[in-house]
Amino acid sequence: MSTFMQQVVNGISLGSTYAVFAMGCTLIFGVLNIVNMAQGAFFMGGAYFGLEAANMGLPPLLAFFVALMGGGVLGILADLIVFRTLRARGAHRWMGLVASLALARMMVGVAQEVFGTQVQRYPQNMFQSIAFEVGGVRIQLLQIVIFLVSVVLMALLALTLQRSSVGRAIRTVAFDEDVARIVGVPVGRTTMMTFFLAGALAGASGMLLGNLFNVVSPFMGEQMLIKGLTVIILGGLGNVPGAVAGGFLLGLIEVFSVAYVSSSFRDAIGFGLIFLILLVKPTGLFSRFEERKA
Amino acid sequence: MNAVLQFLASYSNIIDLCLLNSLIGYALFLSLSANMFSLATGGFMALGAYCSVYMTMELGLPFSIATVAGAALAGVSAALIGAPVLRLRGDYFMLATFAFTEVVRVIALNWDSVTGGALGIVNIPRDTQTWHLALVLIAAIYLVHTLRGSYFGRAIAAIKQDEVVAGTMAIDVFKYRLLLFVANGFACGAAGAFAAHLNYFIGPGDFGLLRSVDALSYPILGGLNALFGPIVGAVFTTVLPEVLRFSNQLREILMGGLVVAIVLYLPGGALSVLDFKIGRPRNGKAVAETLRAKP
Repeated sequence: MSTFMQQVVNGISLGSTYAVFAMGCTLIFGVLNIVNMAQGAFFMGGAYFGLEAANMGLPPLLAFFVALMGGGVLGILADLIVFRTLRARGAHRWMGLVASLALARMMVGVAQEVFGTQVQRYPQNMFQSIAFEVGGVRIQLLQIVIFLVSVVLMALLALTLQRSSVGRAIRTVAFDEDVARIVGVPVGRTTMMTFFLAGALAGASGMLLGNLFNVVSPFMGEQMLIKGLTVIILGGLGNVPGAVAGGFLLGLIEVFSVAYVSSSFRDAIGFGLIFLILLVKPTGLFSRFEERKA
Repeated sequence: MNAVLQFLASYSNIIDLCLLNSLIGYALFLSLSANMFSLATGGFMALGAYCSVYMTMELGLPFSIATVAGAALAGVSAALIGAPVLRLRGDYFMLATFAFTEVVRVIALNWDSVTGGALGIVNIPRDTQTWHLALVLIAAIYLVHTLRGSYFGRAIAAIKQDEVVAGTMAIDVFKYRLLLFVANGFACGAAGAFAAHLNYFIGPGDFGLLRSVDALSYPILGGLNALFGPIVGAVFTTVLPEVLRFSNQLREILMGGLVVAIVLYLPGGALSVLDFKIGRPRNGKAVAETLRAKP
């Protein structure tokens, strides 16, 4: 029983980082209808921003803020340099996919140049050393903090999307870009804001996952991109609450398949599940949320 | 003549790679011509590669039979995943093919007795000759060229423009797509078999998401409406890293930058330059219109 509870705890803390990352992916997909392959690079960039800030001696929460803003700025830059131009030229969305992948490669190259290819670690902080023992289950303070921070981010995103004027604009663009333009929503600025939010979420999850495993490397983004795609299939494309649920689900599936089946089949179970879902219920497991798309 | 032979000898590796990637480019050209954004390339190639290597190394069958078998296996699996998945909307098709590639990769990683697990298979006989690749590539180009002029090709073009309209014109959209996807799988499987017998080594990492997306970028970079687009894209993306070999990291940065520049400034693909220059608005306009029509 305590093994089971331990896996639940581990799965939730891992899943919360997946959920934060996937919210960004699904937001871009839901609003702009493009699959942004550079999302993994924003994630990696955020982890490095946080690392640099922590190395400069900033307290963890401030470093986290730096990671969040850093990811957001990367998102805005990607929009300004690539996606805005493509939109202005009326290019096909495949072009965006190819361009964003090239952009991700470029960013990985830059990260290798600047930070080296070696794996780096966050400086020791108080969250890593403290752990609680509850009924045979070991809970690190770090895990609790990651979970809480993720929940705060989810609540902030939900609040932004549902209550703020920016959120209303984003939802209008997601509904239909032309309609948004007719009713006077500044589509360009709204798109940029969406990229900022998606980049910030990716950067934040980079710092969170980097702390959880205490590994930062230029290549961490690619694996995460695959997880992000997995989660948005689980949750339904462009479905933000679905991405949250899918993130936790994937985290739990991974942890449990390592504990009870075999560590080498961790990914196979996840992908097999996706395949099934796409065949049986392609709108995602949580499609009753569909009408609240992004 | 001597100089040419010397050139061929010293660059034979790159030439082989260019031919191989062009073949993959045409496979993707087929699926893209019916708006199927397939990420299954890696999976098909892995099937073709592992199947053919198993046959040549374990069963001792000749290379030609092994290649055909590998390609056939990939083609059959294309039919099996295509049949249910092609009925889904475009994005779901893309994600399903992505999941397929990852499932194949994970199986390759874990089925130690056949695939050698994470270590892969080494000492594969180098059976692929340059002329094999050239011959298959020419056959593929001929096939694509013939298709484009035929009833089949026109039906595909109609599907690309608008599948609903194509459906109302009594074109069986699903059937044509499935056929193209099977052809795509077959060609990718053959390419996988060739690739395996070219490099002495295959491992699960060779056939992941990156391989699939690279493959897509060949026809897209070269130009989706030009017959020779996939070759241009494949040669460009294969040769450029060799030219930029002086610095590993700088290479990635420059490659990425160049691809972004092409996509931004030549949205119809590299070959749309030609249309522009010769002053034939037909293709260029058509590209722009087609690309704009699909949001």
